[in-house]
Amino acid sequence: MGSSGVPQRMHISFLIHNAYGIGGTIRTTYNTARTLAEHHDVEIVSVFRHRDTPVFELGPKVRLRHLVDIRKGSPTYEGEDPDYSRPARVFPRAEGRYEQYSLLTDRRIAEHLRGVEADVVVGTRPGINVHLAREARRGPVRVGQEHLTLSTHSGRLKLALRAAYPRLDAVTTVTEADAESYRREMRLPGVRVEAVPNSVPKPELEPADGTGKWVVAAGRLAPVKRYDLLIKAFQRVVAERPDWRLRIYGAGGQHAKLRALIDRLGLYNHVYLMGPANPLEPEWAKGSIAAVTSSLESFGMTIVEAQRCGLPVVATDCPHGPAEIIEDGVDGRLVKSGDVGAIARGLLDLINDDELRQRMGRQALERSARFDPANVAGRYEALFADLARRGGLRGALHRTRGTLLGGVLATKDVGRSLMRKTETA
Amino acid sequence: MTATAVQPAAPEESPTVTVTVPPRAHCVADPAGTLTFDVFDWRPAGAGAGLLLTPRGPEGAADTLRLPLAPIAGERLRAVLTVETPLPEGRWDVYVAEDGAQPRRLSPGNHDLRALVDREPPSGAGPLAVRIPYATKYGNLSVRSWVRAPHVEAGDIRVGAEELTVHGRLAGAEHPADLLAGAVLEARPRGAEPGTGPTAKPTTEGAAFSCALRYADLVRDWAGERLLLDLWLRPADGAPVRLARILDDVPDKKEIFVYPAREVAAPHGAARVVAYYTVDNDLSVRVERAG
Repeated sequence: MGSSGVPQRMHISFLIHNAYGIGGTIRTTYNTARTLAEHHDVEIVSVFRHRDTPVFELGPKVRLRHLVDIRKGSPTYEGEDPDYSRPARVFPRAEGRYEQYSLLTDRRIAEHLRGVEADVVVGTRPGINVHLAREARRGPVRVGQEHLTLSTHSGRLKLALRAAYPRLDAVTTVTEADAESYRREMRLPGVRVEAVPNSVPKPELEPADGTGKWVVAAGRLAPVKRYDLLIKAFQRVVAERPDWRLRIYGAGGQHAKLRALIDRLGLYNHVYLMGPANPLEPEWAKGSIAAVTSSLESFGMTIVEAQRCGLPVVATDCPHGPAEIIEDGVDGRLVKSGDVGAIARGLLDLINDDELRQRMGRQALERSARFDPANVAGRYEALFADLARRGGLRGALHRTRGTLLGGVLATKDVGRSLMRKTETA
Repeated sequence: MTATAVQPAAPEESPTVTVTVPPRAHCVADPAGTLTFDVFDWRPAGAGAGLLLTPRGPEGAADTLRLPLAPIAGERLRAVLTVETPLPEGRWDVYVAEDGAQPRRLSPGNHDLRALVDREPPSGAGPLAVRIPYATKYGNLSVRSWVRAPHVEAGDIRVGAEELTVHGRLAGAEHPADLLAGAVLEARPRGAEPGTGPTAKPTTEGAAFSCALRYADLVRDWAGERLLLDLWLRPADGAPVRLARILDDVPDKKEIFVYPAREVAAPHGAARVVAYYTVDNDLSVRVERAG
């Protein structure tokens, strides 16, 4: 990816909360790591390990290891270590996962970052990025990823990030909108802020043909997903088109409420709570339209997943992701957030026009290829290579200053602060 | 790009994980109900590669169905379970096997069941065979099989103020309209003899019917304990047929096809009446004490 056109082999090390779980960050990190591993040495270091094998596929080339073993019954179980129950000091208190971190994780993460043999170290959540900023040894490029959004962090967390992030080389967000927030609200002189979307691989099955009379939605049954709005909108759809039905995939705390709403509106022959499904692709492929009615989407992974299965998506124009994924009227509809009538009209537009729906489905399939892991990993590769080149220059500067001043240890810090000033200027 | 400075001692590294991937299969259903299994992440060393379907339950292994696995492109192996291959009703666990080795349980890949969604029942006489592959709660691949001759497919259910209206279609009968003429819908207490439960007369149109079951009739024999009433279509001439919902891609209806309950006054106090699907996707009504 460099100017020579041939990517130089890099050693890239991801640091993640728990690589053995099932969240969106884990899924997208695996996608990116697997693809980068085709040309680079890639490892994923998991702070925690709570089960023997990861849920998602790592591929044969990515190495995976952990820092703290919390598998009960494992011979190397560390949950009994006294430091495991002492509060963390480096991991920021205002971070959502603070309670899971400890003096033990502080120590293990610090040891890992001081010794990490890599050209690029990537943190995958705010608390881990703070460790990265404060503790990574000099040398590797330090990249902090934001998988949520700045605007959803508390004021206290923003302060903690503002103090630490200037020591990163780059911050990546998943949307341009969030990158703009970072540039506007955080003072990060010399830190590259860049939006790199999440990646979704091409599904290994035929795309939907748009003939089935099903609308499909998928995600945690959480208040932020506003499935209540979708169900209410679907009542209006059914009034006009009783031959169409809705499936909602996912589990969560809203299940009983949504069930009661379906029953109250008499939609039990038209709206189904399907429970969780993994993989989801075959379920998207049974539908002809996808619906996303969230009040907030950091990125909008389900939108891309549905598009990659050939579905046009009717989505609320909520912050931050949908408008950067869907082009209204081309590969789906962006409708007013929180508006039942607008959601119903968006769905009916596509339900009532078979030709339009199928054309949008084909567009969705074509346009969503930009989120292929190959493209997204390519953007990371270009960013990392560029930062590493800059880092190399910085190293050369360190060495020059070193010969001038003598005394290796003293120069490093001086060189570093000089470099920072140069970057600021 | 690698650092030259002396590194502090790295923490003792945890061993790198080697993930052993279980053999998996993508499964595609065609509109007739034939299932095609494409096995991957498995390379048999010996001869005699086959796909085994073993019934759940104590008698198990003796009835195992073996399908040959033949190589296809991309280092995969294919087995086909045609709709004509007999597979008795029940749950079947799926394995891969080769000569001289223990069979290995398959894990599910993509199950492309779009052809099963909103299936039309095949017209004409003959047993109806339905198979739906699914992932068990332990993440293994199994197949659910039904064999019904004839079959009554339950459709929409309307929960009214005074009655429960069930829509259905008769399949697998040579002359469905004849079989429906003079038939009644019976809500028979589980385990009881035919003819002992309340009945209602359906309205029919060709192979389709709808039938209103009055709550007052459904609670007639309720004595205060929980009462399960299984719904049967009882032709004037011929064996009763259980109502079930199997003509789609959903292997377990119980938690998904859910209906609101109604409270009704009954001789032994207020009763709660609700339609539900059993673990076998048969349609029943539960009567229990309200509150």
